[in-house]
Amino acid sequence: MLLDFDRLGGFRWVLVGLTALVALFLLLPIVFIAALSFGSSQWLVFPPPSWTTRWYGELLADPRWLAAAWTSAKVAFATMILAVLLGLLCSFALVRGRFRGREVLRAFFLTPMVLPVIVFAVAIYAFFLRVGLNGTFVGFVIAHTILALPFAVISISNALEGFDKSIEDAAILCGAHPLEAKLRITLPAIRLGIFAAAIFSFLISWDEVVVAIFMASPTLQTLPVRIWGTLRQDLTPVIAAASTLLVAFTIALMLLAALTRRIFAR
Amino acid sequence: MTNPAGAARTGLGPAVPAFALLLLFFVVPVVMLLLRSVTEPEFGLQNYAALFGSGTYARVLFNTFLVAALVTVFTLVLAFPVAWFMTVLPGRWATIVFAIVLLSMWTNLLARTYAWLVLLQRTGVINKTLISLGVIDQPLPLVNNLTGVTIGMVYIMLPFMILPLHATLRTIDPAILRAAALCGANRWQAFRRVLVPLVMPGIMAGGLMVFVMSLGYFVTPALLGGTSNMMLAQLIAQLVQSLLNWGLGGAAAFVLLVVTLAIYALQIRLLDTRRLATQGAV
Repeated sequence: MLLDFDRLGGFRWVLVGLTALVALFLLLPIVFIAALSFGSSQWLVFPPPSWTTRWYGELLADPRWLAAAWTSAKVAFATMILAVLLGLLCSFALVRGRFRGREVLRAFFLTPMVLPVIVFAVAIYAFFLRVGLNGTFVGFVIAHTILALPFAVISISNALEGFDKSIEDAAILCGAHPLEAKLRITLPAIRLGIFAAAIFSFLISWDEVVVAIFMASPTLQTLPVRIWGTLRQDLTPVIAAASTLLVAFTIALMLLAALTRRIFAR
Repeated sequence: MTNPAGAARTGLGPAVPAFALLLLFFVVPVVMLLLRSVTEPEFGLQNYAALFGSGTYARVLFNTFLVAALVTVFTLVLAFPVAWFMTVLPGRWATIVFAIVLLSMWTNLLARTYAWLVLLQRTGVINKTLISLGVIDQPLPLVNNLTGVTIGMVYIMLPFMILPLHATLRTIDPAILRAAALCGANRWQAFRRVLVPLVMPGIMAGGLMVFVMSLGYFVTPALLGGTSNMMLAQLIAQLVQSLLNWGLGGAAAFVLLVVTLAIYALQIRLLDTRRLATQGAV
C-alpha cells in the first residue's frame, strides 16, 4: 500500500511534489552559479543585464588561478596513485590475511574518514610546522593520501571480497608465479574497484579545502585554497566562472566513470 | 607478494606501508596535538577548565550542538519523501533524481557554498523575489547567522540522508504494508506503526552520520555563519591560527574528537543490536 505507487491515492502527488521541490533545491545553486558566471554584472545582479564570457577570460588570463589549478591537478594525481597503491596492498592483507586483530586493523584504516577533518588539519599543520613540510608538494600529497586512503581501501577490498580466490590459485597450480597470477588474473578481475578507488581518491584531493587552507603557502596553493582566499575578500563573478568549470569537470569525470564502468563490465 | 610457497598465506605484510604512513602522519600528529592540551602553557587540565568554564566557549559548544540538531531534523524531513519516491517509482524518474543527488554531492563544496552566499545575501535573488512577490517589505537577514548556516548545511547533508534512507526503504517488502492495510490499518497507522519502524535503521544511520558530520563542519559555517554563532571547528581554527593558543585549541579538538567517536560507537552498537534482533526474528 504505502510502498505501491498506484495505491497511494492522492498522496502520491504530494510525494511527487515534495520530491520535485527537493530536486529543485538541490539543482538551484548549481544552475544559478553557471548562469551567474555568464552574467555581465560585476555585482552579481540576477537576472543579469546581459551575457558575457568576460569572467572566464579574466580567470584564464590570471597566472595565479592557472598555477593553483596546475598544483591541484598534480597533487590530486599523485594522491590518486599513492592511495590506490597503498589501498591495494592493504586490501590484500585485510581480505586475505589470517591474523589476529584483522577487524581492528580494518577499523584503524577507516578512522581518517571518521575523524572530523578540522582535527586532522590542525594536527598535521602543527606536525608539518616542526618538520618543515607545510606549503610543500610532498606535504599536500601526504595529507591528502591519508584522507583518500579509507575510500580506496573500501572500494578495493569490496571488489576483492567478491573475487573467487580459487581462480588465482588455479593459475598458480598451472605454473604461474604467485605475483604473475595476482597481476594477470586478480588485478584485471577487480579493476572496477581499483577504478572507483582512483576516481574517489582524485576527487577527494581535488576538492579538499580544510587541510589545504592550513597547509598552503602564498607560493603553493591548490584551487580550493585560491577560491577560499578570493571568496573572503569579495564575491567576484570570477569565482562563479571557476566554480562552473569545476562543476563541468566533475560531471565529465562522473560520465567518464559511468562509461568506463559500462565498457569494463562487459 | 613474493611468497614462493604459493599465494595461500597472506599475512600482515602488505598492510605495512599504509600502516606506517597512518602511524607517522595521522596518529602521531593527532596524539601530539592532544598532548599539547594538557601540557601548554603548563602541565594540567587548565585548558579544559577554561573551555568549559567560560561563557563564550560554552556558547560555542551549545551552538555547535544546536546547528547539528537543526540540520539533522530538517535534512530528515526533506530526505524522507525523496527516498520514498525513489523507492515507489523506480525506473527513469528515480534515476533522474538519483543523478541530481549525486551531482549535488560531488559538486565542489566551495562552489555550492559560494552559490548560497550569493543567493542569500541582502540583495540576493531570494530576498528580491520575496520582495517583488510582496511577501516581505525589507530584505530578510538570511546569511551570516543561524539561518544561513542551517540552509547551507542542510543542502550539503541531504545526499548523506537520502542515500541510506533509500537503501533501507528498498529492502522493505511492499507486501508487509499491504498486509497492514488488509488487517485494517489506515494510511497513518500503517506509516506510523509499520513503515517508520521498518525504516528506523536507515533513519538512525543517516541521522547519526549527518549529526556527527555537522558537529565538526568547518567550511560552510565559516562562510555562511556570523561571529555570534561560531561553531566548534571554527573555534579550533581561530585558536590555532589567529591566537596561536595551541593548548586551548588542542583541548577543543579533543572535545570534538571524543563526542564524534562516542556517537560513532553508539551507531555501531545500535546497528549491531538491530542486526542481531532481525537475525533472531528470522
